[in-house]
Amino acid sequence: MNKCRKTFTVAILAVLSTVQSGLSAQSFDAKSSSSGDIWIAGRWSVEVDKVDPGTVSLDPAFAAAIYENLLDELAKTKRFKQVFRSGDRGAGGAHDLLILKTTVQHYTPGSETRRAVTTVSGATKLNVRSELCTPQGKVVLERVVNGNVRFFGGNLRATHNLARNVADAIQHSPLPQPEPALSESLH
Amino acid sequence: MQRSARLLVRPGRICMLSVVWYSASMFAQSPGATGPAHVTHILGFEDIPNNAGGELSIQEDGLEFRRSQGPAARISTRSIQNVSLGSLDKQVGGVPMALGRAATPFGGGRVIGLFSHKKYDTLTVEYADTNGGLHGAVFQLDKGQAELIRNKLTKPVAFGDQK
Repeated sequence: MNKCRKTFTVAILAVLSTVQSGLSAQSFDAKSSSSGDIWIAGRWSVEVDKVDPGTVSLDPAFAAAIYENLLDELAKTKRFKQVFRSGDRGAGGAHDLLILKTTVQHYTPGSETRRAVTTVSGATKLNVRSELCTPQGKVVLERVVNGNVRFFGGNLRATHNLARNVADAIQHSPLPQPEPALSESLH
Repeated sequence: MQRSARLLVRPGRICMLSVVWYSASMFAQSPGATGPAHVTHILGFEDIPNNAGGELSIQEDGLEFRRSQGPAARISTRSIQNVSLGSLDKQVGGVPMALGRAATPFGGGRVIGLFSHKKYDTLTVEYADTNGGLHGAVFQLDKGQAELIRNKLTKPVAFGDQK
């Protein structure tokens, strides 16, 4: 008799847990899809321009690393519909395109050995001005961002930190709504 | 006496001829190809993960990066827009060595850090992919190797200027 009761209880619990998990999955799906639609409706695409070293004598590896890390970090934010490389032919047809221009303002070359020996000196420091512009040249967003490596890691890690900070600044800044395409406005 | 001298000279001639023939055959097999250099891909090369080790070689039609496992990645020399050099001073040993330095008592880690560094060359290759998108690939090479590769890559033939 006891065994029968136990089996019954276990069965009820199993059924309840199945129903509950099904319901929660449904609600999660509905939430993500609806929020996703709203998000996509107002999203821009972005083209990352080549890093401008300005008047600073920047190691070419640093310029390339900033550019590549920016592409990675901007894609991670999911703020943009598409992230294009500089010169990508696919970006030409996009009506909702912003161009990210990065100009290096200050660069302090550090030394990993000095950091390892002294801890307090040898930091690699980067300071850039990031601008999000429309293809017509109108600046939508402008930020001055730093990227440093002070303790652990190689010098190129500063470029990763910088790109992450730029992406973070863009993610937390309000952007205007992209203008609808001609075909969309006709509908 | 003369005959014995001739007998001694003959093997030398045979050796020299065989060396010349062997080197000529080597050049005939791979005109324009360069021996691979062991490099670390830091970032930027399409389809290759960051910090992957492999062999970088210049082929007749492009630059090839081959890992020990997996397929090779190749870019056409025509797509290369710029090649530049740089230098990098890095601590050797990675994370285990850094932890070891941190754990060494009486500031011994700092002394180890003073000697456990190595200078590398960096080779930055800017190229356009099939869509025209710019890539900036950075490779880390042993000191002195990057210039050799840059010189080979920037020959007029390497950029498709075969006039």
